[in-house]
This record gives sequence, structure tokens and C-alpha cells, in this order.
Amino acid sequence: MKIEVLEKNDTNLRIIVKDADIPLMNAIRRLALAEVPCMAIEEVVMIENSSILQDEIIAHRLGLTPLKTDLASYNLPDECPCQSEFGCQQCRVTLTLDAEAKDATRTVYSGEIVSENPEIIPVSDTIPIVKLAKNQKLKLEAYARLGKGKVHAKWQPVSMCAYKYYPKITLPEEDCENCSKCADICSKRVFAVKDGKLSVRSLLDCTLCMDCVEACPKNPSPLKIEWEKNVFIMNIESTGALPPERVLKEAYKLLGKQLNEFEELIKAEQL
Amino acid sequence: MIIPVRCFTCGKLVGDRWDEFSRRIKTGENAGDVLDSLGIKRYCCRRMLLSNVEIIDEVLRFYEEAEKRKEARNFY
Repeated sequence: MKIEVLEKNDTNLRIIVKDADIPLMNAIRRLALAEVPCMAIEEVVMIENSSILQDEIIAHRLGLTPLKTDLASYNLPDECPCQSEFGCQQCRVTLTLDAEAKDATRTVYSGEIVSENPEIIPVSDTIPIVKLAKNQKLKLEAYARLGKGKVHAKWQPVSMCAYKYYPKITLPEEDCENCSKCADICSKRVFAVKDGKLSVRSLLDCTLCMDCVEACPKNPSPLKIEWEKNVFIMNIESTGALPPERVLKEAYKLLGKQLNEFEELIKAEQL
Repeated sequence: MIIPVRCFTCGKLVGDRWDEFSRRIKTGENAGDVLDSLGIKRYCCRRMLLSNVEIIDEVLRFYEEAEKRKEARNFY
């Protein structure tokens, strides 16, 4: 298997994976969505809330706020040796928020949340939590824990994890009337027409929708859209909780772990 | 009521872009161009910002007025 990086930044990773197959790619995708753990606020204790939003709504908004996650120093609550419902230092982070509008109406932002661990903070400082009118107060304590996306979407480390086949476009050599209908209909503008000649401008943008083939006045169309059977373009967009490459690594690790568990179960049953 | 923290459909964080989005829209910029420059690509996330109405501002006006009235009472 070969991997080629197309694009990589803090939140986005786009790679070409060669010599892979659908089951593997789909396993990685599903693990990244549902099994890779990340941190999110799970419990909120309201100490004072005189804002116009209800306690539950504020708690929900806090829960959805993505937190930067440190997977090495924290355990999943189920796997933590403390086995306590309330959690311990290894499976829980306490965050506090104390805001008051003294002079005028103001917005309370996620940047005002104070964490006991300076590493576990909201990924962005400018998420509005609530708006307070003058003399309104919001005081709360929140407990963040690791969790999995299959339990609640707030624990999904990725907002998008998708793969598609690598497109293979064969341009017509002869038999083409150069009507450029295929180029006009393409919503991704894959084709370019220069001096009446058709060429491929951005191959990777092709979604294999086949609109161009159907738009061709000739039947069968001399234009051929195919795909490489074992080459994929994978796109991972992180919420910021974990870097996208880390999500990919964790997904791979989890796949190995799950397969090992399966193997041991088979051995134990002496099948 | 207030801008949602994440996109309903895909879960991308959109709440943190609201302030910049609404500020730039008010200056008369084209909404599509602003969304492009904020890096919001999918239409599920774009509609979150495009279709949001901050009703909380309307509700807060009642509280602001009540506060003003209270202050006026204390003044005399």
C-alpha cells in the first residue's frame, strides 16, 4: 500500500491511498467516525443561571463545543482503573465558567471557560455560549470526559471522513464533434476547452457523476469515465479536537486492536 | 435563538465564525464570498450561517428595557 499526501493542514487531510480495497477504507472511515475517542463536556453543574437560555440548552451548547484532546494522559471512563461514576484525575477534566454582564448586554464566549488542565480547552475562543443582559449571571462547573462518536455525535473527532475512487478519464481521440457539452454540464469543472480541444483540468475533482457522458450527443459516448479499482482519495476533516493525521493513526490502531481481540476469542473457543 | 455551535448535519464547528460573518454581511459583502473566505465549503454548513436569525437579541431587548425602568425608578 502506498500513501500520497495531497493536502495537509490543522483541520484537513487529503490523501491518495493506492493498492487498498473498499472493506479496509470503509473500516477506517467508520472507526474514525464512531470509535476514535475525543474529549467533550458530559456533565454540567449549574450554580447560577439568570440568563434567558435554559440550563439544558446551555449544557447542550457546552457539550457540543469541541475540546482539544490529549489521548495519552486520559482514559475512557469504562477503562479507567478508578471505576467511579464521578471520575478521577485520569478520566475527567473540570472546567468552570463564571460570567456576568456588569454594564451592558454582552456575549459570553468559549474563551472564558477556565480549565483545570490548560491543554484541554475549547478549540476556538470565539464560540458564543450565551448572551447576557445587564445584571444577568452565569456560573457553572462542567466535567469533560473521553467518549466515542457512536454514543453521541459530540464525541466525533471528525466532521467529515469520506473516500472516493480515483477517477480515470479517457478523452475521445477521434469521433468527437467538439461540441463541449460535456465541459459545460460538469458541476466540478473538470474539463477545460481550449481552441475547441477538450482537456482535463482537475482530474481529482471528478465525482464520477457521469453527467458528461449523458450530455454527449453521441451514443455510446466516445468520452470514457472510469475509476481505478484499488486507488482511493480519502478526505478527513477534523473538528479540531485531534489533528486529522492523529485520527487516522488512532483508527488504524483500533482496527488492529479489535482484530486481535477477535483472534483471541476464536482461540479461546478452539474453533 | 442563538447561532448553533455545530452544523446540524455534519458536525463542523460553525458557531465561532458567526461574529465575523454577520459583521461582514452588514458591510454589504456578498454572503457566498464571505462563506468561501471563512472556509465553509459544504452547503449543510453554509445554510447554518446563512439562515440564522439571532432571535436572542430581540428577546434581550425586553430585559434591557426592564433594567432601564428599574434604574429610572431608583433615580427619582
